[in-house]
Amino acid sequence: MEIRAKPTRMELNRLKGRLKMAKRGHKLLKDKRDELMRKFLELIKENKALREQVEAQLSSSFANFLLASAVMSGETLEEAIMYPKATVNVDVEMQNIMSIHVPKLIVTQREEERKNATPYGFANTSGELDSSIATLAGILPQLMRLAELEKAVFLLADEIDKTRRRVNALEHIMIPQLEATIKFISMKLDENERSALTRLMKIKDIVRGDESA
Amino acid sequence: MPNSDRYLYAVGRISVMETRLVDSSKIERMVEAKDAEEALKVLAETEYAGHMADLGSVYEYEKILEAELRRVYLEVRKMMPSPEIISLFARKFDYHNLKVLIKAKYLQENRNELLVKDVGNIDLDVLMRAVSDEDFSDLPPLMREAAEEITEAFRLEVDPQLVDLRLDQAMYAEIFADLKALKIPFLTGYFTRFTDLTNIKTLLRIKRLGLDRRFLAQALLPAGEIEAERLLEQLDEPLELILDGLAHGPYAKVVEDGILTYQKTDTLTRYEKLADDYLIDYIKQAKHNKFGPEPIVGYLLAKENEIKIIRIIMVGKINQLPVEEIKERLRDVYV
Repeated sequence: MEIRAKPTRMELNRLKGRLKMAKRGHKLLKDKRDELMRKFLELIKENKALREQVEAQLSSSFANFLLASAVMSGETLEEAIMYPKATVNVDVEMQNIMSIHVPKLIVTQREEERKNATPYGFANTSGELDSSIATLAGILPQLMRLAELEKAVFLLADEIDKTRRRVNALEHIMIPQLEATIKFISMKLDENERSALTRLMKIKDIVRGDESA
Repeated sequence: MPNSDRYLYAVGRISVMETRLVDSSKIERMVEAKDAEEALKVLAETEYAGHMADLGSVYEYEKILEAELRRVYLEVRKMMPSPEIISLFARKFDYHNLKVLIKAKYLQENRNELLVKDVGNIDLDVLMRAVSDEDFSDLPPLMREAAEEITEAFRLEVDPQLVDLRLDQAMYAEIFADLKALKIPFLTGYFTRFTDLTNIKTLLRIKRLGLDRRFLAQALLPAGEIEAERLLEQLDEPLELILDGLAHGPYAKVVEDGILTYQKTDTLTRYEKLADDYLIDYIKQAKHNKFGPEPIVGYLLAKENEIKIIRIIMVGKINQLPVEEIKERLRDVYV
């Protein structure tokens, strides 16, 4: 399908310019898409590894917690952990990956609190609770990194999707359309030229016939 | 001995109640049950049946245990000729309630569902009023002192751990002060053993967490047989030396097996089980004294132990833990 355009030489030049631009844009976007893809795969790999790591630790923490809950009464357990001791500061900064702004989480924690995350007394709590809480406290930085990665992957996937759609639109619609239109106009112009020529020849014939008569 | 017959009636009743304790064959059946429902069915054959009528699902097993604990405390308190002995054991509920109230206050939340009602020595209203008005003058002196210290410290910085640490220490200081007045060697013996075993465990836990002596000093309970200084010194020593130091004491067996397993597996599960078994073993001798309060205390502790056992089984069954893992944690029974 072609664009509806006036078959004039000016229009033709304009369309030729657009085609050139579209082809350049197409190439650039294709490069961008490939690079994004590369980054994306990289991030996904890291994300997968980290997620597996975090999940393994989380499940061990939960298992310990379960065992702690078996040897402590419900109220005692709840009381022990009702008021968390550690506080964590999270700052969000922006990081630029291929002009996409992904968040970067910066976790700051007080040294003494990182060392001691247990908010309870030791007289009537189980040792199994320690391991559970310590593991949980230990994986906080990894959890934050995971959050950061997942968001980046999500944003990147979105961007890749958009870029790919643009590349496809350029490749399969925009450029063929422009080419078709350019072809149409140049044909039309050629046609016009030919008809003008014929007309001239015809007029010349008529004029000549008159002279000879 | 004067008044030696004043316990006779109560002890007589207790020996009847003892026969209703869940015995090891029932425990065995619960452990071997194929799921939580079936384990509960075994429990329904025991005196727990009374609390099971309005049970919605197996997940509410904690309600049965709570109800049973309350029933036992109320009943024992009623028939005990010297209720101050039961107060020793009920003190943990007062301190638990105080901890919950103080923490809830600084969290600005209402966590009243965590309070233990009816079984404590101090009326809940008194505790609530004391905490909300920051006026602790109605509380026992040692508890009051601790609560005031915490309130004072919290003006500068809120550290929830301090609540537990300080109140635990106050609680055992208070218990030992009462024990001095009561002069019942059996009870003093029990609490001494309890604090010692707990302190050794605390030493190991704090060592594992990598905390310093100053912290350990805050976490140790007062008045055990093993002096706090000795435990403090051992904090920086390797496990083998700690083991050596305790290997000749009365807790040799618990400590040896417990710490060796801890070295291998990095869990204190075995130690905790052995420590509880040691205490149960200690109170078993109470059964033979028919003229003192010992059998009554023995029954109360046996009941607490039994509740612990049932909780371990129920948590294990609900979460489909392998039978060995449940057995690993099961405490011995009293009967």
